[in-house]
Amino acid sequence: MSYDVQIKRHGLHALFDLKGAAADVWDWAGGTLPAQPERPNSRTVKGELDLFYIGRNHWILRAPIEQEEALAAALKPVDCRPDISIVLVSDTLTFFTVIGPQAADVMAVASPLDLHPRQFAEDAVTYTEIFGLKALVQCCGGGFEFAVEQSFGNLVVDYLARTTA
Amino acid sequence: MLKIPCPFCGGRNESEFIFGGPVGANRPDPNAVSDAEWVEYLTIVPNPLGPVQEKWWHARGCGEWLTIWRDTRTHDIVEGPDGA
Repeated sequence: MSYDVQIKRHGLHALFDLKGAAADVWDWAGGTLPAQPERPNSRTVKGELDLFYIGRNHWILRAPIEQEEALAAALKPVDCRPDISIVLVSDTLTFFTVIGPQAADVMAVASPLDLHPRQFAEDAVTYTEIFGLKALVQCCGGGFEFAVEQSFGNLVVDYLARTTA
Repeated sequence: MLKIPCPFCGGRNESEFIFGGPVGANRPDPNAVSDAEWVEYLTIVPNPLGPVQEKWWHARGCGEWLTIWRDTRTHDIVEGPDGA
């Protein structure tokens, strides 16, 4: 069965992994980061910066790859205070978008998570499973976006091709 | 298949978790217990017919460790972790 979807694998994003007590992280980097997400597994946006609240005292900051150098200079991951952790992880994740009228059907094959809008709000973002792999999933315009470890990228391309063939 | 309540994420599919084993007794002072009690602590794991307290790791999720009470007769989660 074929599905009415457009699947795209994206290039690198600037990604920073932030850990620590929220007060300490925002004390260090609050001027750079978007507002602190209030709910677990939700995101906030500031310009081209996305901040994902994906675990207890754990966030991921995403930006266009062109901003990586400027963000690294602002966040100072190497010199940050010892009670927090900021790590540049841009090359660890590869992002996919699944967009189209049947995007939810493809995601239902790939993931056990309930992605219905009643359960998975527009600003939701969470780690779950995609084809049995740990993946970061969120909504995007007209469909869904997810990221898996770079090394699984080609595997996921193959899984998606078989799913939608 | 279990739907396990994660304190951070809410109810999630069992396949997102890794089983961390039953919650055992607290480690006794080896100098204050008999050899038999020490061997029992080291080798005997809880295996009741009924509710057992278990550790689970939300490995393909938020990374949280949690404990639940699962009834071995019905496979029902009879008590979730605090905050879930």
